[in-house]
Amino acid sequence: MLTHIIILLDDTSVSYCHYDNNGAKRLLITLNDLKAGIIWAMKENLNIQFVYPDYALPDEYNKTIETIDHTKIKPDVQAKDADVLVLTDWKNRLLPAINGATCIIKASRKELNDDHEKIMEVLNMAERLNIVITDIDSFTDKEIDDYKAFLDRLADGVSKMYSQGKTAQINLLTDRIMLNEMNNCNAGSSNVTLAPNGRFYLCPAFYYDNPQNDVGNLQEGLCIKNQQLLCLDHAPICRRCDAYQCRRCVWMNSKLTMDANTPSHQQCVVAHLERNASRLLQQILQEKGISLNPSYEIEEINYLDPFNIVNRWK
Amino acid sequence: MEQIEIKKSDQGWQNGMAKSITFIVTKDCQLACKYCYLVGKNTKERMTWEVAKEAIDYILDREEDFREESVVWDFIGGEPFLEIELIDKICDYLKTEMYRRNHHWFNSYRFSFSTNGINYHTEKVQKFIEKNKNHLSIGITIDGTKRKHDLNRIWKTPEMEQGKMPKPEEEKGSYDDVVKNIPLWLCQFPGAATKVTIASPDIPYIKESVLHLYALGIKEVNINCVFENVWKEGDDALFEEQLTELADAIIDMDLYKDHACSFYQEFIGKPMDPERDNQNWCGAGKMLAVDAAGNFYPCTRFAAYSLRSKPAWIIGNTHDGIDQNKLRPFLTLDRSTQSPRECMECEVASGCAWCQGENYDAADTHTVYQRATAICMMHKARVRANNYYWNKLFRKLELQEYEEQKRKSMNIVC
Repeated sequence: MLTHIIILLDDTSVSYCHYDNNGAKRLLITLNDLKAGIIWAMKENLNIQFVYPDYALPDEYNKTIETIDHTKIKPDVQAKDADVLVLTDWKNRLLPAINGATCIIKASRKELNDDHEKIMEVLNMAERLNIVITDIDSFTDKEIDDYKAFLDRLADGVSKMYSQGKTAQINLLTDRIMLNEMNNCNAGSSNVTLAPNGRFYLCPAFYYDNPQNDVGNLQEGLCIKNQQLLCLDHAPICRRCDAYQCRRCVWMNSKLTMDANTPSHQQCVVAHLERNASRLLQQILQEKGISLNPSYEIEEINYLDPFNIVNRWK
Repeated sequence: MEQIEIKKSDQGWQNGMAKSITFIVTKDCQLACKYCYLVGKNTKERMTWEVAKEAIDYILDREEDFREESVVWDFIGGEPFLEIELIDKICDYLKTEMYRRNHHWFNSYRFSFSTNGINYHTEKVQKFIEKNKNHLSIGITIDGTKRKHDLNRIWKTPEMEQGKMPKPEEEKGSYDDVVKNIPLWLCQFPGAATKVTIASPDIPYIKESVLHLYALGIKEVNINCVFENVWKEGDDALFEEQLTELADAIIDMDLYKDHACSFYQEFIGKPMDPERDNQNWCGAGKMLAVDAAGNFYPCTRFAAYSLRSKPAWIIGNTHDGIDQNKLRPFLTLDRSTQSPRECMECEVASGCAWCQGENYDAADTHTVYQRATAICMMHKARVRANNYYWNKLFRKLELQEYEEQKRKSMNIVC
């Protein structure tokens, strides 16, 4: 069931997830489409997330946006009033006033390993940090080992923060501890995206990949074919998986395995490394008498890719 | 009680558990069968020896990735025997290399062919058969009576390659060119089976065609309706009528004892448990196909020349290898995820087949997880005729047994 809509205000709206829109040129959504999108969302009873570009919007747009309850996803250069702040140059730029916003860092595996201190600095300032890895699709065995090392180091840092009384939330580690069931991106099943061209997409990534990939428009409404295949119960690997924090990115699925309901080896392994690092963190915190989710203990497993045990399920 | 004689369909070499590796050696064929799913046949895409060798080396170099006990090296086209010289070279190389490498497939392999039979008698093909006869499976496709066969299996004309179709009166059927080779084929492969494909125009000729094939000496007829959405209103009733009449003929003439027809199977037409009976039907992904460009596919049906409306589903090539990510959707397929609720709740679900390639081709999105259901009404008609067949046959056998018992008891001398 749809619960959210993401409205990209401009083609250069900041990327907050795996996709890249570096080549995009400015194209502001028309005011009419913005208003129509808001009305459509109201009628469908959807929460709205507006994604901002790095320049100030015309007043008329700001006024229209404020006519409805919403969440603002903004780049750091437009940090004022942001609910979600994408730190676009987090390695070099001074961090803006975060003011309780959730922060997002997009980084390659190498950047994560090389700039660990900076990540800890952000985590210390933010109430919540989401890290988005930008090169999962090209992970080799070497990068998988490096990522595991990064997560172990991160878990160590987070456990120290908790020891000092700071409550750190980071998607790669603490989400899994808190969750008792799958909590994925759910593009196309619980959320949909309105692009500046007035058309709907499963998520921003599908729009930037190919604008022909639309799933309807403001005039004719939404038409998601095979929508059941975007849902967890129609994903044969994921529906049995307990890497509950996994994004389960249907766009990466479509790119790497060519089927939206099937995750790649890399996505599964990355999610399981996070799951296992979360388990390690959970154990460390428990030894310190800190329990983030008293009702649930993450079990030990002996695989990183559930595809390898698929025959056990059949 | 005497052993009941009912010929069972052949389960295939190694019960169908061998790895199937298909060389698409050519996309050309002498025929232009009207029901052929190969929409992109052409004379240009012929496999070279270099590509074939690269594919073989790639596969045999990775013995640990191909662990099946046995292998079927399959050759298709188009018409594979158009490339008999290449095939002969490929098979010689395969045998030599499997032996040289002490590969576990060396003592467990087959070469398999589906042919239109036109070149079967030629010297080159016969020489190849003689050389490999202990490791060969060859199926010749003959659709039944001359009028049924010639309805669809017509010769290709040069004009067709320009997109110009002949008038019906100008069409030349291929029956006579094929049937002349059937005795030689049956002499060399006495248990050979033929494959018959049914599309809408063929339905009135099913009964006569199967009986005709039996009369030619073919004891096993594997027959199926095409999976494509070609069916018209009333086709199911006519189909059921043909299958019922065929059932009468097979039983009344005692043909069931040593002839098999795949339409009639005891297991079909039952409800299926969503958890216990959740296997995929099709072997796509467990098979491997390679084409003239050296591209790998999960099955030949995913090559561009087989697809009407979707791009090819290429899983790798002989240079870069197989991208295992692109095989994952196939290897996790199950019945419940790809089937609509109607199929899951169907009371006659067992035996209702699907083709993963057709599912993909007909799907609304780029997926192998949307089951095409165009065949539904034909399956239900088949189930009704199948029920009739087994009820009639078992009653006949029951009565025969009763008569036999009665005869024996009357002969008892007190």
